[in-house]
Amino acid sequence: MTGAVLFALFAVLMFAGVPIGVALGAGGMVAIALANADAQYFGLLAAPQNFYAGLAKYPLLALPMFVLVGSIFDRSGVAQRLVTFAIAVVGRGPGMLALVAILVAMILGGISGSGPANAAAVGGVMIAAMSRAGYPAPFSASVVGAAAATDILIPPSIAFIVYSVMVPGASVPAMFAAGMVPGVLAGLALIVPAVLISRRHGFGAAEKDQPRPPLFKSLREASWGLAAPVLILGGMRLGWFTPTEAAVVAVFYGLFVGLVIHRTIGWDDLFEIFREAAELSAVIMIVLGLASIFAYSVNTLGLADPAARFITASGLGSTGTLLLVLVVLLVVGMFLDGVSIFMIFIPLLMPLVVAFQWDVVWFGVILTMALAIGQFTPPLAVNLMVSCKMAGVPLESSIPWVTWLVVGFLVATLLVVFVPELALWLPRSLGY
Amino acid sequence: MSSKKKRTPEDWIAALSMMALCLITMGNVVVRYLTDESFASTEELSIFLLVLTTMAGAASAALRNTHIRIEYFLLSGSSGRRRMLAILGTVATVVFFLVLAWLSGRMAWDDFRYGEVSMGLEVPRWVYTTWVPALSLVIAIRAGQALRRELGELGELSKQREPGEPGEP
Repeated sequence: MTGAVLFALFAVLMFAGVPIGVALGAGGMVAIALANADAQYFGLLAAPQNFYAGLAKYPLLALPMFVLVGSIFDRSGVAQRLVTFAIAVVGRGPGMLALVAILVAMILGGISGSGPANAAAVGGVMIAAMSRAGYPAPFSASVVGAAAATDILIPPSIAFIVYSVMVPGASVPAMFAAGMVPGVLAGLALIVPAVLISRRHGFGAAEKDQPRPPLFKSLREASWGLAAPVLILGGMRLGWFTPTEAAVVAVFYGLFVGLVIHRTIGWDDLFEIFREAAELSAVIMIVLGLASIFAYSVNTLGLADPAARFITASGLGSTGTLLLVLVVLLVVGMFLDGVSIFMIFIPLLMPLVVAFQWDVVWFGVILTMALAIGQFTPPLAVNLMVSCKMAGVPLESSIPWVTWLVVGFLVATLLVVFVPELALWLPRSLGY
Repeated sequence: MSSKKKRTPEDWIAALSMMALCLITMGNVVVRYLTDESFASTEELSIFLLVLTTMAGAASAALRNTHIRIEYFLLSGSSGRRRMLAILGTVATVVFFLVLAWLSGRMAWDDFRYGEVSMGLEVPRWVYTTWVPALSLVIAIRAGQALRRELGELGELSKQREPGEPGEP
């Protein structure tokens, strides 16, 4: 009964457009109060305690730091130089700029950890260039929005940090390593349809005769950007830094590149960069803190276990259940932002993970892939909203193109579902 | 964005604690490599700054209306419905953060009353915990201000309707 109140109140508030954090916290508090009607303050002192404990976690520090890295590299002028270098490597012709956009988004994915920041950085350079080369704007926006979704798989990734904070046994380095191969796979799964569609319709044929940028000059200029993922991922791998420290080193590196080398950031921009990153992280972290109140009441009311028992007894089996979870998450992901989905669903899904003995790292990668698809599936697609806004086209106009990219990404996800080694091989061979 | 011209106190708290987090963490790396020592006690300070950034940043976000929410129903439909949902969202936010301020204020008061000190730096715990109720109050106030502004904008959109309700709860 109390459980029904918890979920009903949460769902009503959420669909009415109340901030997700407030919906989670309010649902949780009302459920706590109903269950502890006789206790002092209705047992509600547990709410601020869980809120504080949900936030005050040292590994979570990596989250605002990687958000900051994204804000800095977004303005550092790195994206433009990576694009020029990528064109010098792959050449010009139909579909080539679509290929470049996806490749650059993947490299930037190795620096920043959030999809929308990546879509803004890549879109800022690529959408105008693609339109000059004859790509229709809705197609360009689809490619940029989808490519940016690989960001939360390719380490570093904010989604993995949140997952790791919530799930014992999935360390940040293990999650980061596990996302690498699926991230590249997803990138390839986007490249194939993007290039095929471009060739078929002759998109980008207009730029065929333009000169190719000189290879070594463009490599030299792109080297500051290319070195960043090496510094971040290599530094973590070699044990120089923890994930949080790697992010802070990348902050200083990115500021140096933006302020001194490329001169795209002025000293008076600094305050706004830090303020904006603080706000962008806060809207995620406040939900994380308030979701702890929700998770506390789900756990103390013992709601997740009966649900899990019901599903395990339904005879769907391990794979059937996993596919069901994926379908649900994909549908929810069309309306709700990814990290919030984690915070709502992980407490509910963990008993299933235990019951079917799924590997928590592998499960985290699959959840993140489902979430990444949601980032560019209309109507609520955070990445696609950014790229469509930049291209000046309505979100609906991207549907005929983005559908193919969703299919590609879905195929990559199913590969990881059926071949867990794709995710698990790298963290195991690195010894995490 | 109009965010640049007007900076609120919580904007300063959020940006400065973010900078402090960077400097402390970088300092940790440098000290570890130069002296083979670690000042792990700063972990406590970093965690406090993380909470401070979150609360202050959440107040900034409340004023700018950038909190994560499902906007699908909020942005579609008649201006009357949008008005109603905007008011509902704000009332829920304000009430929730007032309750959180009161409850977390109780927590901080207990820390003060019983003289609790932190584990690492042995600072009185209330020095850390009072910020949560204080900034929860700021979030509630900012959410109210954002609603007043939003209702003003909606009023501009539909001049034929007279704004009947008061702007702030």
